[in-house]
Amino acid sequence: MYRQGDILILQVTAESVPARLEAAPRDARGRLVLALGEATGHAHAVPGPGTLLLSRDSRLPEFLHLPDGGRLVHEEHATISLPKGWFRVVRQREYVPGAYHRYVAD
Amino acid sequence: MSTPVLHPRLAAHLADAAAEWDLAAHATGPADRSAAEEGVRAAYHAAGLREPRQIIWFASPAQAATAAVVLSGDAEARAAVRGFGLLPPALLDLNAGPLVRDPVRSAPWEQVRAQAASALTPTAWAAAWEFVGGGFWPQVNRLVGEIRRGIGRLAADQTRPARVRTATSREPHEPTDPVEGLLRRATLDAVLGQHDAPWLAFFDGLARASLIDLAPLDGVLRVSREAGWWWPFEHVVLICERPAELHRDDLGRLHHAVGPALAFPDGFGLHAWHGMPVPAEFGATMADLSPAAIRRQDNAELRRVMLEHYGLDRYLRESGADAVHKDDTGVLWKADLADDEPLTMVEVVNSTPEPDGTYRTYFLRVPPWVTTAREGVAWTFGMQAAQYQPHQQT
Repeated sequence: MYRQGDILILQVTAESVPARLEAAPRDARGRLVLALGEATGHAHAVPGPGTLLLSRDSRLPEFLHLPDGGRLVHEEHATISLPKGWFRVVRQREYVPGAYHRYVAD
Repeated sequence: MSTPVLHPRLAAHLADAAAEWDLAAHATGPADRSAAEEGVRAAYHAAGLREPRQIIWFASPAQAATAAVVLSGDAEARAAVRGFGLLPPALLDLNAGPLVRDPVRSAPWEQVRAQAASALTPTAWAAAWEFVGGGFWPQVNRLVGEIRRGIGRLAADQTRPARVRTATSREPHEPTDPVEGLLRRATLDAVLGQHDAPWLAFFDGLARASLIDLAPLDGVLRVSREAGWWWPFEHVVLICERPAELHRDDLGRLHHAVGPALAFPDGFGLHAWHGMPVPAEFGATMADLSPAAIRRQDNAELRRVMLEHYGLDRYLRESGADAVHKDDTGVLWKADLADDEPLTMVEVVNSTPEPDGTYRTYFLRVPPWVTTAREGVAWTFGMQAAQYQPHQQT
């Protein structure tokens, strides 16, 4: 379990990943963007090889596959080295009275 | 800063060079255009190239990057940026030839770097670099990164339909604008002019100590003293003015309460609060903060900045909040609010320090039934308290 700011990364088995999820496109810099700060434009991103899959429900990045391992970078947080394998990406949320939740949008 | 492996005489030269180049890196105001152009021509001569036929000045790197896309791009790229209306029409039909960044900048740079590598032991290199660039390079590099991001966003704003542009959130999987990619790549082709200063300070310090010969980089150096980013093509050079305004905090981060922290003469600029990019109107809202206004801010990063400005102690006191639990994940706060359910927040601290060694503190609202800090932080990630055990945090 790795945490970089408002993103939590959990290693999971390949079998636990649902089939036929849509892959997220890379950004203008060729990176996989796990989450993007709304105000800052700063991103939790993986610059190297791999695949990021979108959740069917929320259309947000949910699973990350790094066949050779990789690095998770962010402008304001130290880089995290990830081993090879499958990961679930959890974005931090906040409680909003009367609503279910909202994601932390930094 | 003391570094035992550095000879005091070398340290003195490096310090002088660093002080001078720090001024160049953060210089504002109109360039001495003829001095910069002489530098450009000297760099072409040193590379064994003919002088460029035209040197075209731009008011900002955003404009010049757009022009660089036009001059180096395919027909589709030209068509995409043509609609921006930023460029003089004559530029669209110019034959600039290929980019000659390699012979003009990279080759002499590598030559000087190789001299430095043979003049210094690896330990002395590390010590000298730390002495000159240790604090200087990250600052300038961050500035360069923010300018690149600003240029990319400009493209997105120019080409995205208005309904998307004004949406409150940008999801990371939103289709990437192809022009944004083109512009970002163009920014990587630029010679950074004044923003090459940290490395130039390092080389210049070594040259002042007679350890290396800077002659191969003479032209590049002369441009860097006078101007901003530049794009060397075979027949044409695109070159930028320096910013008209640059405001920084005491740690050297972009910061300005009223107006942009960085502004170029054409209006391209960046708004920032202690290094964090913020919306243009954000500075003005900081003059009139209240605990309720802070709670209403949806964006956790902006809310953190508001809280810091307002004062954490003051905010908690005025909210009537009490610390009810503390563990290694953070602190749990509770406050009773009039006409609302209780306010329950976890206070969490970034694991990566700021340049001054302090850590950013965030308050995240969690459900009122939460009783421990770990339970609260775990909830923000959709987990039970016992499950939440990160083994690395940054």
